[in-house]
Amino acid sequence: MSPDRPKRRPFPWIRSIMAAGVVGALIVLGGQLLEQERVGGESPVTEAGPRVPGAVFPTDTFVGKDVPQPINYSHKLHAGDLGINCLYCHTYARRSKVAGIPPTSKCMGCHTIVATADEKPEIEKLTLMWESGQSPAWNKVNDMPDFVHFSHERHLQKFLFDNPDMNIEDSREVCAMCHGDMVEVGVAKKMRPLTMGFCNTCHENNDGPADCTRCHK
Amino acid sequence: MATKIDRRSFLKVLGLGGAGAALAGCDMPSYATMEEGEEQVFSYLAPEEYVVPGIGVWYASTCLQCSAGCGVHGRVREGRALKLEGNPDTAVNKGKLCQMGQAALQTHYNPDRITSPRIGGKNVTWPEALAFIKEKVTGAPVWMTGSISGHQAVLLDAHLNASGGGAHYAVETINAQAWQAACADTLGDAQPNLHIDKALCVLSFGADVLGTWVSPVKFMADYGKFRAAPRGVLTVVEPAMTLSGANADHWVAARPGSEAAVALGVAQVLASEYSVSTSALPSGAADAIVAMTPERVNALSGVDAKTLSKIAETLMSNSPSLVIGDGSYETAAAAMILNLMLGNVGATITPSAELVPADLGVRSGSTKALADFAADAQAGRIGTAFITGTNPAFTAPGGLKIEDALSKIGLKVAVAMFEDETTQLCDVVLPLASSLEDWGSHVPATGAGRGEIHVQQPLMEKLHPEVLGLGDILLGLTQDAGADGLEDFEDYYGYLRTAISAMIGADFEPEWQAVLQAGKVQAPTADRSFTANGALNFNVPETKAPPAGRLSLITTARQGLFDGRHANLPWLQEAPDQISKAVWDSWAEIHPTTAAGLGLKDGDYVTITSDSGAITTRVFLYKGVHPDAIAVPMGRGHTHYGRYATGIGVNPLNLLDGTADGRTGEFLNTTSVRVQATGDNRHLVRLMDVDQQYGRKLAATISADQLRRNQGGA
Amino acid sequence: MPSLLGNIFKGWADYSKGNEEGGHHDYEHMYALAIDLDLCTGCNACSTACYAENNLATVGEDKFGARQAMHWLRVERYFDEPDMDKIEETNDTDTQSRGASFLPMMCQHCNAAPCEPVCPVGATYHTVDGLNAQVYNRCIGSRYCANNCPFRVRYFNFYDNADSWPAPMDQQLNPDLSVRSKGVMEKCSMCLQRTRAARDTAKREGRELQDGDIQTACQQTCPTSAIMFGDLLDETSAISKIWKRHQVKLGVYKQDKENPELRGYRIFEELNVDTKVLYLERVREV
Repeated sequence: MSPDRPKRRPFPWIRSIMAAGVVGALIVLGGQLLEQERVGGESPVTEAGPRVPGAVFPTDTFVGKDVPQPINYSHKLHAGDLGINCLYCHTYARRSKVAGIPPTSKCMGCHTIVATADEKPEIEKLTLMWESGQSPAWNKVNDMPDFVHFSHERHLQKFLFDNPDMNIEDSREVCAMCHGDMVEVGVAKKMRPLTMGFCNTCHENNDGPADCTRCHK
Repeated sequence: MATKIDRRSFLKVLGLGGAGAALAGCDMPSYATMEEGEEQVFSYLAPEEYVVPGIGVWYASTCLQCSAGCGVHGRVREGRALKLEGNPDTAVNKGKLCQMGQAALQTHYNPDRITSPRIGGKNVTWPEALAFIKEKVTGAPVWMTGSISGHQAVLLDAHLNASGGGAHYAVETINAQAWQAACADTLGDAQPNLHIDKALCVLSFGADVLGTWVSPVKFMADYGKFRAAPRGVLTVVEPAMTLSGANADHWVAARPGSEAAVALGVAQVLASEYSVSTSALPSGAADAIVAMTPERVNALSGVDAKTLSKIAETLMSNSPSLVIGDGSYETAAAAMILNLMLGNVGATITPSAELVPADLGVRSGSTKALADFAADAQAGRIGTAFITGTNPAFTAPGGLKIEDALSKIGLKVAVAMFEDETTQLCDVVLPLASSLEDWGSHVPATGAGRGEIHVQQPLMEKLHPEVLGLGDILLGLTQDAGADGLEDFEDYYGYLRTAISAMIGADFEPEWQAVLQAGKVQAPTADRSFTANGALNFNVPETKAPPAGRLSLITTARQGLFDGRHANLPWLQEAPDQISKAVWDSWAEIHPTTAAGLGLKDGDYVTITSDSGAITTRVFLYKGVHPDAIAVPMGRGHTHYGRYATGIGVNPLNLLDGTADGRTGEFLNTTSVRVQATGDNRHLVRLMDVDQQYGRKLAATISADQLRRNQGGA
Repeated sequence: MPSLLGNIFKGWADYSKGNEEGGHHDYEHMYALAIDLDLCTGCNACSTACYAENNLATVGEDKFGARQAMHWLRVERYFDEPDMDKIEETNDTDTQSRGASFLPMMCQHCNAAPCEPVCPVGATYHTVDGLNAQVYNRCIGSRYCANNCPFRVRYFNFYDNADSWPAPMDQQLNPDLSVRSKGVMEKCSMCLQRTRAARDTAKREGRELQDGDIQTACQQTCPTSAIMFGDLLDETSAISKIWKRHQVKLGVYKQDKENPELRGYRIFEELNVDTKVLYLERVREV
């Protein structure tokens, strides 16, 4: 009916669909290959070597803030120079979800005898709190969101207590997996990212559970 | 157009912007943050060895949400009570807990708690409050409480004795006084043991045994065994469906107040058709039975002869049975008559053991005590009143004019957790510790049948430092009044521990810890037997159909808000009512035929007027109400009870005129009312607006015959 | 490359193996419930216990009326009994001659849950314990899962419920599970936090989980013991015994019982969602 117009080529439907299919397949398969490379190959976390026998030690680091605390406690002195085991103070780690800040009675156990209130100003602060019944208000450094469930007890069971090649005396190596080497710092400092990616990588490499509800509550 | 934003740069901007937003200062709420230094941790000072942060510690205590006195286990983490469960070792509830017990947490943590002593509505210190009391006290003070037992009751008596011998009024709106009176008259034992689990047939006349009567958790646990093979049959006769009625195999609507007639009618069928003997009954009973012909029953209650026969047949074919009744003395007495005829006494009704330290026993609350209190106050016989554990300004029948009576009392001291209608009328309010913060001992409402007294201990430190436990307040007052023998005790804990150590015959820490861990202590008991029947002197009321334009109002009680004491707990306000499934508001249950006659449809507002007052609420139509009745649940309608209860719903108790049962003096909870539509209509908010399954297999039912054919399929 | 095809083949193998004998062989546990409707009195203790245990918010009358309440476990009440009416028509139009029927309804933890495949972000999935789990902080609030649920047991936080817990009521909150914020879907988790705690306790004591180690809040408080909970894969557990006694099997949409008169049934079984709550029919004396 219309006057002569150059006849347009009909759109090549079938060829387009086939081409799109090939491109799509390439994307999917290519993605699979890339993913394989990332997971199946050498894991980046093996570089530091075994500090906890049988475990792949995380090497991610994080530069944490210097968070002021009510008592200027020194891990360097107690855990480093004096060599006190982490679990002596953070005793709840072996039987609870939380490692726990030690109760003041633990500090006073030593500090009524050595380095007492007359000698050290920080101990004087602590002793005043102890005698007036006041709990120190610590500012949380290694904090998890409220929707995360993390059980110190289970992790210590796996890497420390049920680990035949591990001694209790070396518990600080296990703690250092997530908390870094606390013997270098004064009060606590965050030295690992503690993100879900950090946890997941360690779980993947150490046969930890991958079920969402194991960690999300 | 100036610049054409090209797609590539647009996406680049979006990507950068997005990443920037993520890195630059997360505005995350505190519960989601991972930032260092945002949250705080308060370490312990010197915790007990068994307290481990992150792991809950369980302590045993007693629930005080009603007078049943079930044992509880409370889960405490980091010094906060988080959850309550039943104590598996207490025989009353065997590890189970009802919704009121679960909600005790909200009673404890309620934001509307009184946290300081008050005089005239203004906060004062304890010394000021006590000085005020000492100065203003006139005459011998009286105490008005709820049901009370244990060592608190002993101290209460000591205070009254030391301060002039004033009276103790134990007041409970929901009680079993009629049943207790009937049992005392016929058996010589006011609280015999009832063995629902041993019965094959339970017949209840107006006693809501699964809902609010005496000890619902215990009876529900027994009911569980009752329904296990061989399965028992439950029949309930009442004017409006209660929770017990909702679980009945047979439900019978009886005109309000006529339950006794129905019971006697059943007795007549047993005597005439099944030749059950009436010779051993108390005198007066046999005649009453003969006079109660089926025609008379029908006239009084609306229950026909066919239903009477069915009830009788169920009783005879499922033995042993158990008949209970409450609401009026006549009903309870008629129920006991049936028990005697059927030989249940000794089988499903057995004598209770007497508690040897009798002064620890339960002082059962009643509404007669409230009537006595009002009468004594009006006559000027009360100069000073201490009030705790009860809210008479809310629960008293309008006809009692309780506000006027209270105004005649010189000094009124309330000991309470919450400001309520009664504390508004008091001169001094003393802040009371909650059940989770206090010490005590309690005898369960079903009586300490095996001598088991429940111990209450604090689950945590006081939330509000100024509150005091009831025992501490009583001890202080008693010491002030100069009572002997109490000088050595610094606090109620010391008194209680000394008394319980004396009971167990050991004064050492391990034994005391064992008592606290069990949550109970064993007291000696003495067995007793039933004594022979006395005479029964009762008059069956002439309940006729109400005159045109009038209905019989019944105030029903529900496990949940109870008598109104739990209306300030949001969990219980939001827990749908078991029958109507309504939440957060009152309603009036009315039969569809009656409603049609009045031109009412669901959700219509009506004004219900009696001689003592009026309320306006919405109607809820369903068949589980006698056509002559209008049933309004009690519990809502508070005018002063905190943010969750004030201004919500209506209070039907104000409509009662205070007519009392002849034998027990208990208020009858029915009265004659006019019902008029106001013209308003608003949808009653319910969990579900349907009550049919529309052909889907949701809650399916089979007949008991089918069950028996497949027994083993229990 | 092998992993892609390998995954497809493994997935198919798991699926068809799972369909045999209604079996779910790769699950560690298969938690299930059984509710005896003849014992349920409708008292509502279970629902309130769930509120206490799981940080459920109360919403007030208006929001409740708008169907925005958060009751993970609700007790429904029906007055009709069509099977009984066939035997004896006692529920005539004028009077109520029987009581009501109560139905505690909570997430049925369907093994073929219609809510799981439709989540755009995979916030709801089936755990190795057989539970349908909801990961709160992954949820973006599309509400597709609630739309798909035939039982209507998924509850969406339309509002920030912080004012449900005015101080000091917030001290009652259970730290073992999240307090959900606005925009997040939630539902019964069969007290997953208790399962987690029981597993930790068993591990600490160096033993396996036993029947009775885990009690859901509703089960623990029910005064008549109408609710039973346990692991169907544990043949000694009370729950697997009762499922077996009533001849109810997983993995089918129509039971083929030797004795069809046995009381156990599942709701909406014909939808083939493979629920894990067994209901025992209520009984009435005629």
